Amino acid sequence: MKILKDVEKIEWKKCNICGLLQYEDHLRCLKCKNNDFERIEASGTCKLLTFTILKAPPAEFRDRQSYALGIVEFENGIRVLGQITTQENLKIGIELKPVYKKICNNLDGNEVHAHVFKPIN
Amino acid sequence: MNKVAIIGVGHTKFGRLQGKNILDLLCEASLEAIDNSNTGDKEFDSVYVGAMSPGVLNHMTGIASALVDRIGLIPAAADHIKNGPASGGSAIKAGFLAIASGVNDLVLVVGGEKMTHITTPGFITSNVATITHHQAERRHGVSLPSFAGLLTRAYLEKYEAKLEWISEIAIKNHKNGALNPIAHFQKTIDEFMKSAIQKGKGQWNDVNEFLRDDKTNPIIADPLRLFHVCPISDGAAAVVLCNAEIAKNYCDTPVLITGVGQATDTHIVHEREDVTVLNALRNCSNQAYKMANKTPQDIDVAELHDAFEILEVIESEDIGFFKKGEGARAAHEGLTEIGGKIPINPSGGLKARGHPLGATGVAQVVELFWQLRGEAGKRQVEGAKTGITCNFGGFGNSIVSILVERM
Repeated sequence: MKILKDVEKIEWKKCNICGLLQYEDHLRCLKCKNNDFERIEASGTCKLLTFTILKAPPAEFRDRQSYALGIVEFENGIRVLGQITTQENLKIGIELKPVYKKICNNLDGNEVHAHVFKPIN
Repeated sequence: MNKVAIIGVGHTKFGRLQGKNILDLLCEASLEAIDNSNTGDKEFDSVYVGAMSPGVLNHMTGIASALVDRIGLIPAAADHIKNGPASGGSAIKAGFLAIASGVNDLVLVVGGEKMTHITTPGFITSNVATITHHQAERRHGVSLPSFAGLLTRAYLEKYEAKLEWISEIAIKNHKNGALNPIAHFQKTIDEFMKSAIQKGKGQWNDVNEFLRDDKTNPIIADPLRLFHVCPISDGAAAVVLCNAEIAKNYCDTPVLITGVGQATDTHIVHEREDVTVLNALRNCSNQAYKMANKTPQDIDVAELHDAFEILEVIESEDIGFFKKGEGARAAHEGLTEIGGKIPINPSGGLKARGHPLGATGVAQVVELFWQLRGEAGKRQVEGAKTGITCNFGGFGNSIVSILVERM
């Protein structure tokens, strides 16, 4: 069995020419097409921008009846989509912190690890 | 650029079509369109087939050349166009460009999908979810309905709209679908409720109570429930396109495609500055309006991509009918009903007509063809002269708009 790890640091990159903050896999800047970037790590806590509770999971998550998914934004503007550790008392605007853990076995039987988000209070 | 005309259409019933494979459905719609356009004895230059996943869902590839063989159009050029749920719109665009450029004179465009035979839980959800960003989205367990749930909650919060207004769009689209003989669901939600009462499944005082019931209308991706989400369906739709100069040789009342647009947006939904804005639709509809020299105020009828009812709201704004944040209220006020200011989805939309993925973009244009020729029966938008579509691919990262007018 393989363990498929995401990078444990949450990093985006910032264009050194136009300043746009963007996901780390863009080879050229989304806005100005340059390829001169600085890596930026997510900092501080993050706020919940929106969320859903998915009750019809895709096949990889077939052993779970439901889970919460949210989009969060860190203090320095980095956004991440991930699962939330609870389905209770979720509200747009609450503060969360990232926790790195196994989230499923994929269809090839390998463990998938990723960041999930835990409400602070 | 040559003018491009639609001279005939074909459309299978949408729904659960057992005993037919994807190629059977494509053939049925194609032959109907060829008959309808009086081109049965003509040589076609090209055939474009829009389908998302026949390789995975039906174990059939090379379907465009296989179709040409089955329906006797050899040696016409044949291409399979894949652009996810917008495959049909992309196929129409390809056909349009072939004729507009002057390279081709007569083209068949057909879109189709065969999906309902798949019974493995979560298989279609997973297959469609492969269109999302692998690292930033898919591995976390997203599905397309989950994105619709995220968008719905963000929209309701930001614009102080009510979930009931979004539900009213499902009620409208089922009402329209009940008037459409090729729709997957030809039943109003009121009729769904009455038949559930007859079967002893429960008692509800009205449709709103029925739609709030977790048993009859379960949550799929909170706050979205089953009736906010379109079905998967089997079906195909086809159009025959030709150079408008020769259109009247085949057909008394051709419909012109005068505007075509297509645009992309970020693959990752949460990288968009505002997740409730479809930049790809703003861009592609602007291209279509500009090409046709029209504005949103000129549109009499629209077929939008309501895979989830929130999308009809957001699309009705980003295609220019309503200001941002006012689409849900406009629907609530009845502006998008047949007979309203701008009727949306008289066909029943994806919600009620159904959603065989590759067929949808073509089916939208077929519905507008009928509407503009006054052939839409009880769901006719009176006097419709100009219409536009939104065929939404990925999760909003590839969108096609087609603008049509009476000739």
